[in-house]
Amino acid sequence: MDTKNEEEETRKVEFEPVEIEYVSYGGEHHLPLIMSLVDQELSEPYSIFTYRYFVYLWPQLSFLAFHQGKCVGTVVCKMGQHRNTFRGYIAMLVVIKPYRSRGIATELVTRSIKVMMESGCEEVTLEAEVTNKGALALYGRLGFIRAKRLFHYYLNGVDAFRLKLLFPSPELFSSLPMITNNEDSHRHTDHMPPEECCELH
Amino acid sequence: MADNGAQEAAVDISVSARASIPFGDNSVWADVSPLLESACKDLRDGDLIHGDNFNLFAAMSALEIMDPKMDSGIVCKYYSVDEAIENGAAPVPISFDKTVDVQRTIDIMDHLLACEATWHKGHSLAQTVFSCIYLLRPDRTSSHALLHSYCRVIRATCKAVISVVSDARTHEEEDLFTMAYGLPLDGDGDEKCLSLLNAVEETTSRQLRACKAQSSRRRVLEDIEPLQTNLDLEEGYCKALLCRLRFRKHFYHVLTSMRRPQGRGLELARKHISSCILELECILKSSEFLRSSACGSCEDVLDDSTTGSGCQPVGFDASLNSRLSAPTPPRAIKILSWKKAIEYFVKLLHDLDILCSYSLDPLLEGVLQFLVQFQKSQPDLVARSHLQLLLLQDGKLYGRDSIFAVITRAAALPEVTKNHNIQKNEYIVQLGQLVINMLKILCTNAAWQRRKLGKMLQDWRVIYVQLELVFRKDFGEVSSIPDDENICVKIFQHILLWVEEQTYWIASRFLILGFELELYSPSEYCMVYWYIYVVLIKLAEKTHLKMATRNDTSKRKAKKKRDSLKDMGREYRIPPAVLFVQCQMFLVEGLTMLLAALANEHMIVQSPSPFNTEQERFIQHFELLQKACVPDHISYPSFKESTAYARFSMPRGLQRRPRVVLPMTLKNWLNSER
Repeated sequence: MDTKNEEEETRKVEFEPVEIEYVSYGGEHHLPLIMSLVDQELSEPYSIFTYRYFVYLWPQLSFLAFHQGKCVGTVVCKMGQHRNTFRGYIAMLVVIKPYRSRGIATELVTRSIKVMMESGCEEVTLEAEVTNKGALALYGRLGFIRAKRLFHYYLNGVDAFRLKLLFPSPELFSSLPMITNNEDSHRHTDHMPPEECCELH
Repeated sequence: MADNGAQEAAVDISVSARASIPFGDNSVWADVSPLLESACKDLRDGDLIHGDNFNLFAAMSALEIMDPKMDSGIVCKYYSVDEAIENGAAPVPISFDKTVDVQRTIDIMDHLLACEATWHKGHSLAQTVFSCIYLLRPDRTSSHALLHSYCRVIRATCKAVISVVSDARTHEEEDLFTMAYGLPLDGDGDEKCLSLLNAVEETTSRQLRACKAQSSRRRVLEDIEPLQTNLDLEEGYCKALLCRLRFRKHFYHVLTSMRRPQGRGLELARKHISSCILELECILKSSEFLRSSACGSCEDVLDDSTTGSGCQPVGFDASLNSRLSAPTPPRAIKILSWKKAIEYFVKLLHDLDILCSYSLDPLLEGVLQFLVQFQKSQPDLVARSHLQLLLLQDGKLYGRDSIFAVITRAAALPEVTKNHNIQKNEYIVQLGQLVINMLKILCTNAAWQRRKLGKMLQDWRVIYVQLELVFRKDFGEVSSIPDDENICVKIFQHILLWVEEQTYWIASRFLILGFELELYSPSEYCMVYWYIYVVLIKLAEKTHLKMATRNDTSKRKAKKKRDSLKDMGREYRIPPAVLFVQCQMFLVEGLTMLLAALANEHMIVQSPSPFNTEQERFIQHFELLQKACVPDHISYPSFKESTAYARFSMPRGLQRRPRVVLPMTLKNWLNSER
C-alpha cells in the first residue's frame, strides 16, 4: 500500500557491518519493536491485527536487525498457496534512516527469502512504488523482475510494480554458484546499496 | 473469571447524554467504557480472540477506534451535513455584501473545477465534487441564481461523464469513478440546466454591457441592477463570471454532442471544444484581477491554491461524506491545484478533439494505428472512455460496420464477402467477440492493457486451431471444389492467415508496451529485443503471405478475363506495410546484437543474482508468449545460441557479420523474395 521514499539528509550512524545483529522473530517482546518501526516510517496505519497475522503464522519469516541493543530494521513476510503456486510475500521492510544504504535491508530480505526457498516456495512477490528507486534496485539485484505495472495502486495516484522472484526449478538448483557462500559476501559488502524502503500489501 | 467481571461492569452502564449526536428511533447511547476495561483485563499480552476465517483481509480492514489515521469519524468537524449547515458552513446567500458574495461564488466555481479534475484523476466523487455542501442540498440554492444554475450544470455534467465511463466499463479502474451511492446526482430539473445557465449568462452579459456603457459615459440602455456594489470592479467580475459560465455551457455541449450515435455530433463537438479552450484561457487570465481585488486575509497565493483568487472557498467539507466513501477508512486526499485542474481540462479537451477529428477509418489496420498513436499521449479515463464508445456501439465498429465486415476487410478479402453466410459459424462469431474485446482492451490504460493483451494470446491461438480444424473437416482437399465452396475456402484461408498476423501483432504490442511501462531493467533489454525480433519475423511473414494470397486471387481472376498481357511485365514490390515491419525487425536485430556483443566482450557486466539466473527471468518475462506458443520453438537456449557469437571485432581471416541464427523458414522466404 504505502512505501517510504525519502531522500532527506539524516545524521548517519557510524558502524561496522559486523556490529549489526540479525535475529529471527522471537515472540511477543519483538512485536512492539516491529510496530513502532513501521508506524514511524509509514503514513499508512496498520491495526495490531495485521501485525499479529504475519508474526503469529510465519514467525520464521520475520527478522529484526539490532545495533547495540537498538532495533534498527525489520522485515515481515508470509507464504502460502496462491492458485497453483506456493509463494512467499514480503509485506513490510523498514530500516531507520540513520542506518540506511549499508546493506541492512538487503540482509534482512535475503534471510527471509532463504527461509522461503528452503520451505519450498516456488517464487516470492511484493509490490513497490514505481518511484521507489531504492527498493527496485535492491530487489533487482536479488533477481526480481517487474512482472506487472499496477495503475494508480497507491492512494496518491502513484503506480506500483509487482515484483517477482522465480526460484530455479529443482533440477537446476545445485548449479547455482551463489547460494552457498552468500552470508559472508553480504556482511562485508562494500558497494553502495540504495535507500531502504517500506512496503506493504 | 471473565464473565463475572463483565457482568459487574454491565450493571454500571450509564446513559450519558451527548447532545451533539442524536438518539435514534429505537436506540439510545450507553457508555460501555467500564465494560471494555474489564474485558481488556481478561486478555493477556499477545492473546487474540478471532474466528477461524479471520484472514489478512479481515485483519487489514479492522481499525482502531479513535486512531485518527484509521477512524475517520474522529476527524470530522460536523457529524452530518445538516449540522454543518446549522453551523453556517454553507450560507445562502454567501454574504450580504454583494461584492463578497460574487467573490465567494467565483471561488466556489474554481474550487469545484479543481475537485472535478481531482475526481477525473481517480478519486471518489464523494470526497471531491460532492464535498460541496451546496451540491449536497440542491434546494437550498434556489434563491441564488448564479450558484443554483452552476450547481445544476455541475450535477448534470457529472452525471453525463459517469454515464460515458460506466458504459465503457472494462475493469475496476472505473469502479471508484462511477461510485455515486447516496449522492444527489439526479437533481430535480437538472436536464434544464442549460436554460437556467443561459438565463444567468444573459443577465451577466447585460450587466457587463451596462457597466461598459457607464464607463464610456454613454447613455445607459440597460435597466439592470449591477452584479455587485463596487463599480470599479464590476467589469472584472462580470468578465470573470461570464467565461466560467460559458465554459460550463460549452463543456456540457461537448459531452452531449459526442454521445450522438455513429459519430454524428463530432463536428459540432469540435466547435464547442474550441470554445471551451478559449474560455479556459479567459478563466486563467482572470486570476490576476481576482487576486488583486480579493478581500479578507488571503496570504500570498501559493501555487497549489484551488481558486483563481487564492482564497479558501466557503462551503466545502470532505469529511461529511466519509460514510458514503469506500468501505475502507477514507484517507484525506489532496485536491488538485486550480492551475493543474485547468491544465487537466485543456489536455482532456485536446484528447477529445483528436477523437472528434478521427476519420473513422473502416480498415482495422488504420484503427489499430490510431489507437496506438492516441495512447502515446497517455489520455486519462474520461478521454479513453469516449474513445471506446466512439469505436464500438451496438457491437459494430462506429455503430456502423459489422465486425465480420471488419474482419473480411482486414483479411484482404473482396468487399462482396462481408455478407457471406460463413459469419454465422460459431467460431467466426467467437472470433468477432475476440476482435471486439481486443479493441476495448486497446482503449484501457497501458498497465492494464498489457496484462490483458498477454492473456489474450492464448484465446487467439485457440481460435486459430478451432478454425483450422473446421477448415480441414469441411474442405479437406482444396482441389475439385465447386465455385460456391471455393469462396468459402478462400474466406477461411484468408481469415486463418489474418488471425495469425493479428496474434503476432498483439504479441509485439505486449512486448513493446513493456518499455513504455518501464518493466524491463537494462540487463534484460537484450532478451526482450531478441523476442521482439522473432515475433516481428513472424508478423512480417504473415502480413506478406496474406497480401500475396490476395494478389494471387486477383491475378487468377485477371487471367480469366484474359488480361494477362497487362500483368506480365509488372514487377513485384514488397508492400509498404511489410517493409515497415521489416524495418522494425532489422532495428531490433541490431539492438539485440549490439547488446549481446557488449556482454560477450565484457563491456557490460551483470553481477549474478544470488537466487536465480537469467533463465528464470527469461521464463517469467515471456511466460504468456511461451504458453501460447507465439512463436513456436522459441526458448532460452535458442536465445543464448543466437547471441553467443555476437562480437564487435573479428580476426581478419574470420570476418563475418554477426547475425542472428535464422529459422529455416524465414531464410528460405527471404531468399525467395530477392
